[in-house]
Amino acid sequence: MKKLLPVLIMLFLTGCNVRTLNPVSETGADQAFLIKLSFGIMMFVVAVVCVLFIIFTVKYHENDLNRKDIPKHEEGSRVLEILWTTIPFVLLAILAVPTVMYTFQASNTEAGSEDTLHVDVIAEQWNWTFAYENGKETHKELVLPVDREVVLHLKSTDVIHSFWVPRLIGKRDTIPGEENELKVTPDQTGTYQGKCAEFCGLGHTDMRFDTEVIPAEEFEEWLSEEK
Amino acid sequence: MSSKLMSEELFADKKTGFFIYLFVEAIMFTTLFATYLIYTPPQTGPYPGELFEWQTTLFASLFLISSSGTLLLSEKGLKERKMKLIVAGVVITFLLGAGFMYFEIEEFRKFITDGHVVSTNNFLSAYYVLVGLHAVHVTFGLGWMIVLLVQGRLLPFNLFKEKHKIFNYYWHFVDAIWIIILLVVYIPYLF
Amino acid sequence: MEFSFNGKSVFVPTDVIAGWLSVLIITPIVLYIIIKNRYWSTILDYTTTTNHRKIGTLYILFSMLFFLRAGVDALFMRTQLLTPENEFWVFQGEKYNELFTTHGTMMIFFVATPILIGLMNVAVPLQIGANDLAFPYLNLVGFYLFLTGGTIFFLAFFFNAAPNMGWTAYAPLSTDSYTPGPNNNFYIFGLQVSGLGTIFAAINMMATIIRLRAPGLTLSRMPLFPWATLITSFLILIAFPVLAIALLLLQFDRLYDATFFLGELGHPVYWQHLFWIFGHPEVYIIALPAFGIFSDIISNFSRKNVFGYTSMVISLTLIGLLALMVWVHHMFTVGLGAFSNTFFAITSMLIAVPTGIKVFNWLFTMRRGVISMKAPMMFALGFIPTFVMGGVTGVMLSSAAADMQFHDSYFVVAHLHYVIIGSTILAAFAAIYYWYPIMTGKILDDTLGKWHFWLFLIGFHLTFFLQHLAGLDGMPRRVYEYTQEDGVWSYNFISSIGAYLMAVSMLFFLWNIIKTHRSGAKAGDDPWDGRTLEWSVPSPPPEHPFERMPVIDRRDMFWWSKINNKPLPVAKNPRPSPIARRTFQPMFLAGSLFILSFGFIYGWVWVQILGGILSLSTFVIRAFSDERTEAYKREEEENEQ
Repeated sequence: MKKLLPVLIMLFLTGCNVRTLNPVSETGADQAFLIKLSFGIMMFVVAVVCVLFIIFTVKYHENDLNRKDIPKHEEGSRVLEILWTTIPFVLLAILAVPTVMYTFQASNTEAGSEDTLHVDVIAEQWNWTFAYENGKETHKELVLPVDREVVLHLKSTDVIHSFWVPRLIGKRDTIPGEENELKVTPDQTGTYQGKCAEFCGLGHTDMRFDTEVIPAEEFEEWLSEEK
Repeated sequence: MSSKLMSEELFADKKTGFFIYLFVEAIMFTTLFATYLIYTPPQTGPYPGELFEWQTTLFASLFLISSSGTLLLSEKGLKERKMKLIVAGVVITFLLGAGFMYFEIEEFRKFITDGHVVSTNNFLSAYYVLVGLHAVHVTFGLGWMIVLLVQGRLLPFNLFKEKHKIFNYYWHFVDAIWIIILLVVYIPYLF
Repeated sequence: MEFSFNGKSVFVPTDVIAGWLSVLIITPIVLYIIIKNRYWSTILDYTTTTNHRKIGTLYILFSMLFFLRAGVDALFMRTQLLTPENEFWVFQGEKYNELFTTHGTMMIFFVATPILIGLMNVAVPLQIGANDLAFPYLNLVGFYLFLTGGTIFFLAFFFNAAPNMGWTAYAPLSTDSYTPGPNNNFYIFGLQVSGLGTIFAAINMMATIIRLRAPGLTLSRMPLFPWATLITSFLILIAFPVLAIALLLLQFDRLYDATFFLGELGHPVYWQHLFWIFGHPEVYIIALPAFGIFSDIISNFSRKNVFGYTSMVISLTLIGLLALMVWVHHMFTVGLGAFSNTFFAITSMLIAVPTGIKVFNWLFTMRRGVISMKAPMMFALGFIPTFVMGGVTGVMLSSAAADMQFHDSYFVVAHLHYVIIGSTILAAFAAIYYWYPIMTGKILDDTLGKWHFWLFLIGFHLTFFLQHLAGLDGMPRRVYEYTQEDGVWSYNFISSIGAYLMAVSMLFFLWNIIKTHRSGAKAGDDPWDGRTLEWSVPSPPPEHPFERMPVIDRRDMFWWSKINNKPLPVAKNPRPSPIARRTFQPMFLAGSLFILSFGFIYGWVWVQILGGILSLSTFVIRAFSDERTEAYKREEEENEQ
């Protein structure tokens, strides 16, 4: 028990800090909301099934009294069957509406204004290159200003990779010969882990990068710095 | 509760199974047609219009489509139990099928000698896989006909009849696929 | 380890050496057991028979062997992931990639699919009153194709050439520009050969169910396992040909320099479409038979008929149809556009409705029944909550915008194991305990079975439950290590412990089988007080169990006849049965295809030609040795008289 305790404590601590559920952008927050909403609805379903399951297995468990019984034939029940056909439809509708809304929102990647920052994200085996509009390039380090809209142009030079910063926004694949886009506005400064989510061969595990979100002035300074 | 002969019942089983198999084949060819449509016309040449020649396609089609007709002749012999008509039908079908293969191979040979091979571009890759798979089916059918002719001498008539009929379904199916190939692969680029 | 060979030095990794050593140790032991117990005649009997029950047993046996192999792969993976930045043996980088590729491919293609086909082989003909499958010879061919494909794939590791591009083989990584060498050719040919076998099995099942049902056994009176088999066969007939063509195109990319799936020139995403048009129905191909098995088992051990039979059949059909139009939910992050993503999100969500109907029908089948807690029923009971948990995470995944976070993370790993182990593997165990008397005439030990069940179930939830959280915390799938600051250590540690527990539970299962064969009790006929026709015949059934063909006029007719004390009525003039035979030809075909495949894998043209000629020659041999020749001759002579 003594050895188990630290593990349990750690479990509790990590459980509170799950990255995708602590987003630092509005899009990320929408996605976290969807995760929580769907989780809530689904827990209701699991609870209903488990309660019925426990009641039935306890109540109709074979014992000395009923061992010889022959249960009555039961064709089904129209009312019950209609009930468990329509209720799921209602539950799904509750989930479907925001899903459709946020899916359309997330795929609108048009720059909102002149001020929007554009960054080319070029994935290759096994490196990330981030190219800014003024020609500055970094590797495995994405620097973004806080509270400013960014459009990421995702490209790949070899196989399919996937750009993922769990705390910032969900992933999007980088596909050779095509360009994908992501639009996001980070709203908290800090350093966040970025990862390649699509298996891409030998160095997939190490294909990580850091996303640094810094104040706007610092960002301008950083951008004009020679590398 | 069966009043049918054993051979009739077992043939009905086999027919069911073989039709299901042809359904599988149809799905395979559908996938290949989709592939061809996706990759044609290609981003870079050669383009289908530059390669196809209407003479080859026309002759190949005439041979293959008429071979379905002559096979019907053989089927008629099957009904009347006339061995001579059956054999004659199969032999003519075989010759027509072989004629088709002559034009097919001629077309492949010409493309390849001109340097248009599988790896040239995606249109040619898709073309070779689709038309090639069909040609393999025809070749398999030709071999099957030789086997069928020998079976006619060795097997009891009812069993031979069953094998002959199964072959008929196969051959007509391969023919039908050719007509779709004509419509999808050749005709849009010939005119 | 470096070896000097003919002056050249060859590098062989230690895990491959260990593999070969274990073969060198196991082979003599197996041979010794066979010689000591004089198993030769049994082996000869099983390898050349066309009897459905024996072929089914072979399917199950070999799937179980592949299950152990892929399970060992899983244990290596879990050990590598035990602690942060762990370095276990050689399993980092490429070797780890080979591990999860082999594990995934084997579990899907050489365990889940064939074990269910094996169970269909054992049970379906008996449940519908057929003396054998419609095409016994084709059945044996199908089995050998599965075995050959599985063996080709299995051997890749022993040549230090295990496939390494993931079981989904995403292009362009799977083309020879990025993964040169024979490795991934093993994948293509292993799957191509066994896939053909699966197609043959599906044709056989479908034709059997359409043509060979007992008189009076209309489709609306058929038990649910044959129903599930029918729908599954239909899905196989659509899904597997697409896979065959996808593999053919990939083969052209890898071997003949085509560029179907290469970036820039071709369309990498087209591979994903083809793969998932196959892959999503495949999920239901391995889930629907499990649903069928559980429906039968739950009804049998609750001593009650299936609740809402009609809606069970309709929901099976609906799941089958919907399964064909949801494949894009595996591709939400590809960037196909909001319209396509929402469309496929909604169709995917809809699958929850018929699945939910089934779950509630199972629950209400138990209501007012008498639930007997035997080992098969335990697995069925374990299935309900486990599968529901996997199902609800499935609905969560279908929400396209949220899927951008879930996709390709450990959340997906957890989800897919919950549904596949929760349905297919639990069903396979349940069915093995349930139909063991039919396969062997003996009955497995119930206490050991319960040990197996509890350890497996607890181990399973320990392994996979926390993986949901690891995924939400940003752990991508298919990585061989994580750092301390990733904060996923505790999840992974517990997960690995769970995996070991599952391994221990399998030892109980193996011990149960060995014990039963040594000293197990004879099952006797109808050991579970059954409801369906397979229990109306002796266990194990003779070659032609329905010599006296029953006439069916209701569902669960056998049960009805027992409680009313009326014998099953017998048909006067039943239809003829398929004709059995003994043959080495499928074995010969398997060998030929094995040679052919290796010719392609290593690019040896002469071997290809040899294998091709040998394979084609089996068609000719078969054409002149049809088992029906004698019977047809006799029939003709009788008719002439």
